[in-house]
Amino acid sequence: MWAASAPGMKPGIPLTSSAKNRLILIARLVLGGVFLYASVSKIFKPYHFAAAVQAYQLLPPTLVALTTVVIPWMEAVAAGALIIGWQPRSALLVLSALMVVFLAAIAITMARGLDIDCGCGLLVERPVGWLALLEDGTLLLLLLGLYTALLPASHAKTDVAAV
Amino acid sequence: MTVRHTIGPDLGWAVFLAVLGAALGLVAQWGVIRHGWQGTLELQIAAVEKEEAARRLAAIRTYSLEQVLQLHQEGRAIFIDAREPEEYRELHIERAVNLPASQISPRLVAAKLAGVAREHPIIVYCGSVDCHASLRVAEFLQQQGYTQVAVYVGGFRAWDEAGYPVDIVR
Repeated sequence: MWAASAPGMKPGIPLTSSAKNRLILIARLVLGGVFLYASVSKIFKPYHFAAAVQAYQLLPPTLVALTTVVIPWMEAVAAGALIIGWQPRSALLVLSALMVVFLAAIAITMARGLDIDCGCGLLVERPVGWLALLEDGTLLLLLLGLYTALLPASHAKTDVAAV
Repeated sequence: MTVRHTIGPDLGWAVFLAVLGAALGLVAQWGVIRHGWQGTLELQIAAVEKEEAARRLAAIRTYSLEQVLQLHQEGRAIFIDAREPEEYRELHIERAVNLPASQISPRLVAAKLAGVAREHPIIVYCGSVDCHASLRVAEFLQQQGYTQVAVYVGGFRAWDEAGYPVDIVR
């Protein structure tokens, strides 16, 4: 089990006996697990993911290949970091940025009226549409919520005051 | 000010994680990049999809044009057209029901196959031998509990070219 004193871990994040920290740990593991699973399914079937990226009709073939290779590995590295608790806030920023890209791609595709599979890499295939948008939007909110929860207490207060 | 102090290092490490991921991906899957570069990515995708479809088809019963014609004449099977509604409206196998692969859902299946017994023979087809929509619909119907589902692999094109009975939606 990863302990609060593990090398490279930010002070004050995992594991204390407080309910808040337990919730944060669970959220990290669940969100990290979801993104790790999604990335691994894309990494092990790169040409299936390439077909999904290509179906969006947003990129030329060279960039389709680059996207196919780069995005799942970024997702995997960030998810792994989130799970083990190494720079978790930075991992959340990477995953949030990826979600923004996915949301933009889905929104553009919906606006263009293309009826394609979202290629999201989770358990079931589902088409680009409101459900995919809602799902990714919810994930983005959870990522940002966890980022805020992981801010040191004084910073979190400043953050709330700024809002 | 303090927030900026927190976000700055976080962004720095985020860039590090992103670059690390990108580098790992490029090293591990350089072959994909090479296909994109050489303009062979689409061919590679098509080959992988064909291989995958063949693997999935091996787990499902398939019928040839002649077998399907016989079943159609005997009226023993329900024909499912897995193509898009526009293609179906234009022309389809006589008495076929439209269940587009892109819109498939338990509710749609329940509506279109209301009163059809789970063990009733069902034949699914799409546009031609190269399409995979029929496979997706057939697998979905199997998941819904239909036990006699088969795919007609030749698709509508072969049926139409043979001059067999077709319908249009008026």
